[in-house]
Amino acid sequence: MSTTFRLAARNTTRRKARTFFTAGMVVFGVGVLLVSLTFVRGMFGTMLRSIISIGGHVRVVDADFAAREALNPLEENVAVIAPVVELLRRQPGVRAVEPRIMAGVTVTKGEEIGDYFALAVGAHERYFREQLGAREKLVQGAWFGDGPDDLLVGARLAQRMDVRVGDELVLLGTTQDGSLSPVKGTVVGIVQTGGGQLDHQVWMPLEKLQWMTDIPEGATELLVFGEGLSEGLALAQRLSGLPELKAYAVQAWNEREPLKSMSGMVAGMQGIIVFTFVFLTALGIWNTMTMSVLERTHEIGVLRAMGMTRKTVVGLFVGEGLAIALGGGLLGVLLGLGPAWLLDHKGIRLGERLSESVSAPVPETIRGDLNLEVVLLSFGLGLLMALLGSLLPALRAASIQPVSAMRSGR
Amino acid sequence: MKRLMAIWVGLGALGAFAAELPTAEELLDKMDQNMTFESRRSRTVMTVEGRRTRTFEMVGYGRGQDDAAIEYIAPARDKGTRMLKLGDQLWIYLPGVDRVQKISGHMLRQGMMGSDVSYEDMMASNDLRSRYVAQVVGEEKLDGRPAWKLELKAKDDTVSYPRRVTWIDQETFIPVKQELYALSGMLLKVWTMSEVKEFPGGRKFPTKMVIQDQIKKESVTRLEFKELQFGVELEKEIFALRWLERR
Repeated sequence: MSTTFRLAARNTTRRKARTFFTAGMVVFGVGVLLVSLTFVRGMFGTMLRSIISIGGHVRVVDADFAAREALNPLEENVAVIAPVVELLRRQPGVRAVEPRIMAGVTVTKGEEIGDYFALAVGAHERYFREQLGAREKLVQGAWFGDGPDDLLVGARLAQRMDVRVGDELVLLGTTQDGSLSPVKGTVVGIVQTGGGQLDHQVWMPLEKLQWMTDIPEGATELLVFGEGLSEGLALAQRLSGLPELKAYAVQAWNEREPLKSMSGMVAGMQGIIVFTFVFLTALGIWNTMTMSVLERTHEIGVLRAMGMTRKTVVGLFVGEGLAIALGGGLLGVLLGLGPAWLLDHKGIRLGERLSESVSAPVPETIRGDLNLEVVLLSFGLGLLMALLGSLLPALRAASIQPVSAMRSGR
Repeated sequence: MKRLMAIWVGLGALGAFAAELPTAEELLDKMDQNMTFESRRSRTVMTVEGRRTRTFEMVGYGRGQDDAAIEYIAPARDKGTRMLKLGDQLWIYLPGVDRVQKISGHMLRQGMMGSDVSYEDMMASNDLRSRYVAQVVGEEKLDGRPAWKLELKAKDDTVSYPRRVTWIDQETFIPVKQELYALSGMLLKVWTMSEVKEFPGGRKFPTKMVIQDQIKKESVTRLEFKELQFGVELEKEIFALRWLERR
């Protein structure tokens, strides 16, 4: 085996130009794969963290609310939240439980009735501070005080409406029954989270939105925060088993939109990227290795006549491919690490328009996720490219008949 | 010869039936005599039954076909809410924030106070003849009472309900039942009227109405006129925007 590999390694030096060309393809394939996987994983990870900080690891809602969520059916609410919140807080693994109401409103500043539509979010101050980390993202004014009429406005909405701290806003929404229902409040601060959708919202104490929607003791969602992603899934399973929650929909983070569709989409994206680069590079390797087999037909014939088995011939060519991929892969990783590191540390700025157009709360700057797993995966895929690319030519070489090969004179 | 006789008799019978049917215009005229007015004052209780049952009480004023005003007097949450319809414009005064909001665009399709009656329904003119082509399609019994069945098709697509089927009571000429359809043919609402009372001048008017939005399956809205006066003197100020904010 070691002789075969030594022979294979030595063969890589026989046609240096071809070896460099093959290795170049592996360098390119592995490098691009490393950068692409760093970006895709980073993008998904950013979205995942962002979505979970907004919507919790597990969410408890009315079953009909879950079924018609796109319509934001306020009437499908948890009418009395206190006992359910108490029950959830007692469960092991539950770090926090936050009731929340979200409702579409028309926002008016001053006397003129405005045409600005926004999402009003009502929750305890703690939710905005601890889960969204929004206190650190305050760009003007102050955080929620004790005032029941305090409003925090997203930076984008504030900019569009020319809202300043101290302005009075009228929000016109509906009750859970569909009656027009207005609330008035004073802007105490403006927050800039970097998430397009969050920066178009108006935040207020839960009690205020409970009044507007006429859900006096309830909320539309109960957000449960656990300790981590996998623990979140186990927590959802445990909570689903509670008899008191049978009437509700208990959803883990991966069962809710947009994450439900996103995980499939991300897996698909990764699959397409991997397939494209593995296929293209393997094609290149196949091409050069086939040329190598054709050039060495006579030599293969001699080796076969001297007693080299078909298996060894296959090993010889696959070994040659792997030897090239080993060097090319290492170089590809080294070259890819630079841009991947930049993606991980600096990120790519999507811009306001793009982050607003995505239904998930995507921050304007997407950072990559460079880790050992991505590096090893890219390197491993480099070896796979070589294996796939050299296997067919190797099989072809193994099928050569010694006598006819020696007669061919090549 | 026998065949000729049969055709003759058949045609005669058909002619006799056609002669008995009143024209749609005649029926709509008689209906209008009851349903339209110069002025009206009312106190109405509106019960919206659905997931929750809510009861509203309101005082209403009407002037001709185009102008109407409503003030909610109960429940406490909505007390003081006023609506004013002048021609094809509608405003609502929201006392909680002391604001007047014009209802337009998509808001017109929302249920008034979450009921099965939309703001658009409230805006719609009672003058069906100018907007629909009506045809009497037969007679049927509704709750044991004979009624003319009319089919009304919109002259253009600017109306909320391009097709209506209306049953007009043969004795009172009240539209006791109306089915309101979308352009697609989908039944949107069923509106029934009952408890017809006679008012001075011989006018007959229903004091109970039930509206069912067929899309909001579990919802029913019942309107009951507790007080109803026609031909009353109304303050002119009621039909001005200032009235909305008047304390």
